[in-house]
Amino acid sequence: MTDIAITINGTAWEGTVEPRLSLADLIRGELTLTGTHLGCEHGVCGACNVEVDGVPMRSCLMPAAAADGCAITTIEGQYGEMAERLRAAFTTHHALQCGFCTSGMMATALDILRRGLGRDEATIRRELAGNICRCTGYQGIVAAILHVAQETTP
Amino acid sequence: MDSHHDSNLSNSSQVGQPFTRLEDRRHLAGQGGFVADLRLPGIRDVAFLRSSMAHARLGPIAVPADAPAGAVWTAEAFHGLVKPIRAVLDRPAYRPSDQPVMAEGTVRHVGEIVAAVLADNRALAEDLAERLEPAYDPLPAITDPEQALLPESAPLHPGWADNVYMTMGRTTGDFDAMVARADVHVTRHLRMERVAAMPLETRGCVARFDRGSGVLTLWIATQRPHLIRTMLAEQLTGIEERDIRVIAPDVGGGFGGKSNLYPEEILLAAMAMRLPHPVRWIEDRWEHMVSASHSRQHVQTITAHATKEGELLAVDVRFLVDGGAYAMRTSTPAVEANMASSVLPGPYKFQAYRFEATTVATNKTPVGPFRGVGRPAAVFAMERIMEETAAAIGMDPVEFRLRNMIQPEEHPFTTISGLVYDSGDYPSLLTKAAQSIRAPGKGDAPANIAIGIGFGCYTEQTAHGAQEWHRRGSPFVYGFEAARVRIDPSGGVLVSTGIQSHGQGLETSLAQIAGDVLGVSYDRVRVVHGDTELCPYGMGTVASRSLVMAGGAVEGACQRLAAKIRRIAAHNLDCAADDVLLAGGEAQGPGGSIPLDAVARIAYLELQKLPLDVEPALDILYCYRPPVETGAYSSGVHAAKVAVDLDSGHVKILDFVVAEDCGRVINPLIVDGQIAGGVAQGIGQALLEEFQYDDQGQPTKVTLADYLVPGAPELVNVRIIHQETLSPFTVHGAKGLGEGGAIGPPAAVANAVSDALRQFGVDVRRVPIRPEDLWEALRP
Repeated sequence: MTDIAITINGTAWEGTVEPRLSLADLIRGELTLTGTHLGCEHGVCGACNVEVDGVPMRSCLMPAAAADGCAITTIEGQYGEMAERLRAAFTTHHALQCGFCTSGMMATALDILRRGLGRDEATIRRELAGNICRCTGYQGIVAAILHVAQETTP
Repeated sequence: MDSHHDSNLSNSSQVGQPFTRLEDRRHLAGQGGFVADLRLPGIRDVAFLRSSMAHARLGPIAVPADAPAGAVWTAEAFHGLVKPIRAVLDRPAYRPSDQPVMAEGTVRHVGEIVAAVLADNRALAEDLAERLEPAYDPLPAITDPEQALLPESAPLHPGWADNVYMTMGRTTGDFDAMVARADVHVTRHLRMERVAAMPLETRGCVARFDRGSGVLTLWIATQRPHLIRTMLAEQLTGIEERDIRVIAPDVGGGFGGKSNLYPEEILLAAMAMRLPHPVRWIEDRWEHMVSASHSRQHVQTITAHATKEGELLAVDVRFLVDGGAYAMRTSTPAVEANMASSVLPGPYKFQAYRFEATTVATNKTPVGPFRGVGRPAAVFAMERIMEETAAAIGMDPVEFRLRNMIQPEEHPFTTISGLVYDSGDYPSLLTKAAQSIRAPGKGDAPANIAIGIGFGCYTEQTAHGAQEWHRRGSPFVYGFEAARVRIDPSGGVLVSTGIQSHGQGLETSLAQIAGDVLGVSYDRVRVVHGDTELCPYGMGTVASRSLVMAGGAVEGACQRLAAKIRRIAAHNLDCAADDVLLAGGEAQGPGGSIPLDAVARIAYLELQKLPLDVEPALDILYCYRPPVETGAYSSGVHAAKVAVDLDSGHVKILDFVVAEDCGRVINPLIVDGQIAGGVAQGIGQALLEEFQYDDQGQPTKVTLADYLVPGAPELVNVRIIHQETLSPFTVHGAKGLGEGGAIGPPAAVANAVSDALRQFGVDVRRVPIRPEDLWEALRP
């Protein structure tokens, strides 16, 4: 067992975890933040993406013990201006259907926007390569990211 | 004064609007509630041990000595508690297979359940499952549908003479005469490989038995809660349907894959009934790859007979489908070949049709429905042969198709396969799609790139009623959909319905329909679905039926409720009920108005203002059964422009146009989303997705790193052209459109690649189109 201390959505948390416990299982289990979803548990689909120290990470592949000392933000904690704009754009552009990929998609989309890569479709599509959406064909997701990038860049 | 309320359509303000979805808020906040998100006190997890062999005799299962008592459940533990699954089809040629809920004696595919293990959490359950040692005595595996037909392939199921689930054929028209009249005879042998719905949320089930009430509650990621409940009552002993509650919470995509009755659901139910705590099973992706239903896998031979002037005279087709190890309930594996043979004519008319449809058993995961069912494969066969026949005649492929299409004025049109088309303008769709895709593109292609354009034209039977389900031999004749509409004492509208929405946005579309009739904004309407205790019986969301059928039910219930509201309002406004208009959240009379919440309060809590001949409360159940039950046919033309890299064989989609007609569009935002999403799955099937097995029956693609679903970089923005030909057979003139997007792409992309490579004598015979196949074919 390993003692860890993390910040989760701005709140400090300390606890003891099994070495094999994934960050996703910690988040969804003991932390009861079920907005993070597991689609494949082998690091391909991106549904479990959360922000770890400002960078999107696969929470299904990351051991919870490896997150010791990290600040983690899940969909439940994404409430900056950019996140709110993105939420509005996701709705306006019908960027979600079943909603299962959405939280991981939001984590990646926010990262794309923060890195200033949301200005052209080809770049957005390439950056989204690590997130699978089986419902939308990505059309609305790409449009939503473009929309926010255009809104927020002079 | 006019009777302005005869139909809500004349003054509708919400139907047809691209309103944003009511579902979005919870998902964007991370507050969706999927089955894996459920927290119940005392819950324990189940992991399944699944067969590692494709075909073997199953001997005893060695359980470690330190396994806790009651942790391991083998088939014997379920004796007398559950019955094998038998998917029936009321057709003489059909032969059912019993699907064991847990394997006993024999395993017939990798992934079949061999034992269940119960532990405090999933990791511990998996730990123990891994330590179980079943004794397998391998048997030869059948891994290919053509192999299944060989005399040396022993029957997989007891009592079977061969490995055929079903074979049927028919010749319509004077086939020999048409063949004799034809100038050209073009044949292709085609393959469409095995794919799966592959929703991003895997399957899952939580079961809890309440000893006090005797009620068994199951939360299942399913598309059909009511039917699953009916079937569970048949499969389980010791409990009645009345005492089973099935809840489909937020479901993370289904696409047909979550419409089957699965063994896991029965096992979890049986376990919960014997345990003092709830049990949970959440499927992992490997399990999903080997045990959730697969689809398609056709071997096809098709011949077109045509005149040199371009008249299509006759089509001859043979479908052979690999149905996998067991017949899944309810669709059976025969659904794929049977439907393909009946929908093959598509938008075309010709004089004679001969088909043979055969479905065989193999040692692979069972086949069930996936978006399109039979139609992607039928359209692939038909449109490939249309393309090749046009080339053989030397005619433009669009001209050739236009020449043989059913004309709009011919509706209702009975196809040569016996389907009754209600309406549609197919030539117009093709013309629009062709103009759009053929518009000059940007730039010249480099020398090592070949550009091609291809089409896939289809009709899509949707929202068919009892007559059609009965004709197919379905044991459940899906004839109706119900809606219960309540207005509570404070004026809030609650719609409950037996369909299930798992991405289709039905909470929004149905609210728009209700809002129009009741004169309230759609966001004041809450739509509840997916709970057999809260919702009226319904068939669930399959077969592109939910909007039309549940929409008809919601419309009918709201119309009846509206009539009652008008009478209450008229009584209190001192006017005639016919003079009351429901709009803006009010009942408006010629001389004054009453807010809807005030009318509702009268109906429940101020009965002194309620006319004596009006029943109290505002609560109506209405069942919609369409007056014509042969279905409302959507139609579409998909057009693809591709670039083939002649050095690598890699295919890139440059442009994709969909010209479609789903009748009245209720919410354009949602309709476009359904189309784009379906097209993505269709492109996956055209270029990327396929399961493969080795000759031992071992699946070689069992992760999302091997089984490739399209990502954003592989796709383009689909350009959509709408055409609205209203169905005369449905309430709103709407037609279903959930599946259409996935139907056209394999044909359109295969035709585009064939068009690009015609100069090299290469044409596509198989989807997915693999770079290595094209590279091989293009080698000098």
